[in-house]
Amino acid sequence: MKGTNLGEFQEIVLLSILILDDEAYGLKIQQELSERLKRVLSRGALHAALSRLEEKGFIDSHIGGATTERGGRRKRFYTLTNSGKAALRQAKELREEMWSQVPKLSLS
Amino acid sequence: MSQSKIPSKFERFFEWFCKPELFEELQGDLEEAFEVNKLESGVAKAKNIYRMEVIKMIRPSVIRFGQFHSKFNHLIMFKNYYKTSIRSLMKNPLSSCINVFGLSVAIGVCLLVYGFIEQDINIDRFHKNKYEVYLTTFFADRDGTVQQFGRTPTPLGRMLREDFTHIKKVCRVEDNGVILKYKDKVFHERVRFTDPEFLEMFTFPLKWGLAASLKDMNSIIFSEDMSIKYFGEENPVGQDVLMKFADGRSKTFTITGVAEPFPKAHAIDFDFLINFENFRVSNPEYDLTSWSAYVNATLIQVERTSDLEIIMQGMEKYRILQNKAETDWAISSFAFEQLATLHEKSNEIRGDISSSVEDEARIILPIIGMFMLLLACFNYINIAIVSAAKRLKEIGVRKVIGANRRALIIQFLAENIFISFFAMLFGLVLGKALILPWFNQLFDLDVELRLFDPALWIFLFSILLFTGVASGIYPAFYISKFQVVRILKGSVKFGKKNPLTKIFLGVQLILACITITNGIIFSQNSTYQAKRSWGYNPKGVLYTQVPDRPAYEQLSALLEQDPNVLAVSGSRNHLGKGVSVSIVHLPDHQYEVWELSVDATYLETMQLQLAEGRNFREGYESDKKAIIVNELLVEQIGLEEPIGQVFKIDSMRYEIIGVAQDYHIFSFYNEIRPTILRLEEADDYRYLSMRVRDGKEKESYEALQSHWSNLFPETPFQGGYQNEVFGNYFVEIGGHAKFMKAVAFIAIMLASLGLYGLVTLNVSGRVREFSIRKVLGAQIKNLAFSITKQYVVLFAIALTIGAPISYILIDALLDLVYPYHIPMNYFGVLLAVIILITVLMATISTQIGKVSKSNPVEGIRVE
Repeated sequence: MKGTNLGEFQEIVLLSILILDDEAYGLKIQQELSERLKRVLSRGALHAALSRLEEKGFIDSHIGGATTERGGRRKRFYTLTNSGKAALRQAKELREEMWSQVPKLSLS
Repeated sequence: MSQSKIPSKFERFFEWFCKPELFEELQGDLEEAFEVNKLESGVAKAKNIYRMEVIKMIRPSVIRFGQFHSKFNHLIMFKNYYKTSIRSLMKNPLSSCINVFGLSVAIGVCLLVYGFIEQDINIDRFHKNKYEVYLTTFFADRDGTVQQFGRTPTPLGRMLREDFTHIKKVCRVEDNGVILKYKDKVFHERVRFTDPEFLEMFTFPLKWGLAASLKDMNSIIFSEDMSIKYFGEENPVGQDVLMKFADGRSKTFTITGVAEPFPKAHAIDFDFLINFENFRVSNPEYDLTSWSAYVNATLIQVERTSDLEIIMQGMEKYRILQNKAETDWAISSFAFEQLATLHEKSNEIRGDISSSVEDEARIILPIIGMFMLLLACFNYINIAIVSAAKRLKEIGVRKVIGANRRALIIQFLAENIFISFFAMLFGLVLGKALILPWFNQLFDLDVELRLFDPALWIFLFSILLFTGVASGIYPAFYISKFQVVRILKGSVKFGKKNPLTKIFLGVQLILACITITNGIIFSQNSTYQAKRSWGYNPKGVLYTQVPDRPAYEQLSALLEQDPNVLAVSGSRNHLGKGVSVSIVHLPDHQYEVWELSVDATYLETMQLQLAEGRNFREGYESDKKAIIVNELLVEQIGLEEPIGQVFKIDSMRYEIIGVAQDYHIFSFYNEIRPTILRLEEADDYRYLSMRVRDGKEKESYEALQSHWSNLFPETPFQGGYQNEVFGNYFVEIGGHAKFMKAVAFIAIMLASLGLYGLVTLNVSGRVREFSIRKVLGAQIKNLAFSITKQYVVLFAIALTIGAPISYILIDALLDLVYPYHIPMNYFGVLLAVIILITVLMATISTQIGKVSKSNPVEGIRVE
């Protein structure tokens, strides 16, 4: 089951793809993450994460149409696969379940 | 506008290393980000961000591997090379073993050479001030040649300290023999008198105690070895030891420090350090201001190395002072030798404190290493050429599939480096575990290979590249040249009669011949040295040091009652133990000689032989002005009629009454020097020597020892057998012989491995030919002739060249290493030639045997 485990960073990447929806391509994801994490994230590091997620089958990608900016280069858009969504949900449930069992006292 | 463009170099670099299928999207993203950043934070910043982004793209998921340019081989091709080289290694296990093993041995020997040289170069370089500390030396003309001396006039040290502000520190060093006593442990020791700066200039760390304690007159600092000798593992700081100087003076010292073990690469060290001022205690009449007195060394430390020139200019006045005091020993100039390079030069400096490795070892060892490596490389090339013949088909097929010449060259070189790599690893193990310990044991050295030394790995990899490329380059270029069609048609004849293989084999034979001759001659020489006459008869002579006249008289009185003792003599100097140096004044020049001051019976006791003239007579006052010279002195001065000649020595006049045949005072490493013998007053006897009856040596030695301990229980005995005064000279000479023999053995092995591999490959390539010959009725002697023919010519040529070269080289080598050696002879060369021919015969006969037993039908069926 090791292959379906989500790292924290991977989870956040997946979430940002969901948030960006139709606009989920490399640079946008990078900007979104940099903004939320309050730290600079290199495109190279993001690429590593994305390709790992794609290997695991959590995301799919397709090439968009030709563009006029960015030297006419095309973008690669990412979408979540069903198993990606399932993994996200599973991670969320696990957290919620664990949160619910934390005694109130130890949080204050 | 171009100012605001993306940095194009980085873009191109990115495109170069990025996987092509990723480049479009990634570069697109980066470019878009660049535009955004440009608006937000300006062009410069945006460019910087872009550059950083590109650099951070250098990660495995982005980089394309093995596809850089199509003209290069892909990674996958290297995998294929690896596979084929393993297969071809496995297909010819014998020749592969020969290659790898031969190279390993050679690399092992090279590592030994490396370790030795590395240690030699680094000697005394661990001192922090190695570039600022200098030894004061002077040049003086002795016997017509200018020589450099490491000793210095005593007052110079103090004057340097006072006169020059540029000199930060000065320390004087003087050594003296003393008796050291701690409880029941009493030994003769050499103690170093020095200034407290010694431990600041030479940064020997202390294990216990304080270096500064040397300022105290009553402190003594031990080396680690000496601390163990007297106190075992305990910390001796605070203990008191009693030091006895000459003439019964003694003083108690408190141990205030123990040094850490000295690094292996050191030449200057100490057993015990005490403050220099103690010299007055040990020797009250010693005049520290006299320019005629010398200390072992005076070292200075400067602030900057450039200050030295200023100091050099100021040395002139000391030269004048010195020459005024010592007219006999006029010096021409002072000079300073840097500590970092002192050891390298110490062979040329007389009497300096940094003893040196023999220069010869520095030359001979690298040559031997080179020889071994060359032998192994030639083996490799030969076998590679011949075995490549068997891989012609593979090469043809590769070419058909599309390998170009460059690809083939790369393939062969890669394969070679791969094999050399194996050899290197194995050689490292061999060198570290076998060759080096053996060498250390043989020469009583402490050479080590530090595996974590980066220089060692650089050395190893340069050897790897050298052997890999040197041995692979010829086959690689040669084979890759063939045309496909001819290869596949089978019309390329190659490997069997290649002139180059013959040349290489020839060179190998010459190298082997030299090395074998060397081994034989050196072991002959070792026997010769053991038999060489010393010029007197050391057998049956015992000696002991005595502190003073009463001691000598007491001891000799006792010994003369001993029936085993034939003769007893006293002397100030003693053969094998020490000489004085004197100056003979000739009308036109001065002449340095060695001097032995002895009693009238000494020549008889030692059985020194007179060539002419007479011996000293006992009790004649006039003979106190008589000297007996050796033949060399007569020859060097060119005396026609030596007897009766009068010399002025140290302002006294002496008459030559006899000429002694030349004799060796020190081991055969040392050349015989012009020497005089003269009579000494009994007050100055420091040695007692005696001749005993044959076969009674051991008995008398024990008697001598027991007399000694009865008479002088407080003083340890310091004597021995005369035939042991050369120390471990003979062991060392034996070591040379053993080492050279081992080298010769390795050379024979490498050469015969190479020969064997070559002959085997050659014969197996001609199986079909031989089978047909057999079928047609050829007899075994015809086949033998056909196999042997080509090698006989080669051997004849190689040995005709090799034998004279060996003779000349080894003759020169002997002259270089030993002043007195076996006369060069033809026996060694001849034996070397015979050994090589035997190896050839043995190798060929195994193959002939194989051919004669083989079934011709099988042979014809081959391929």
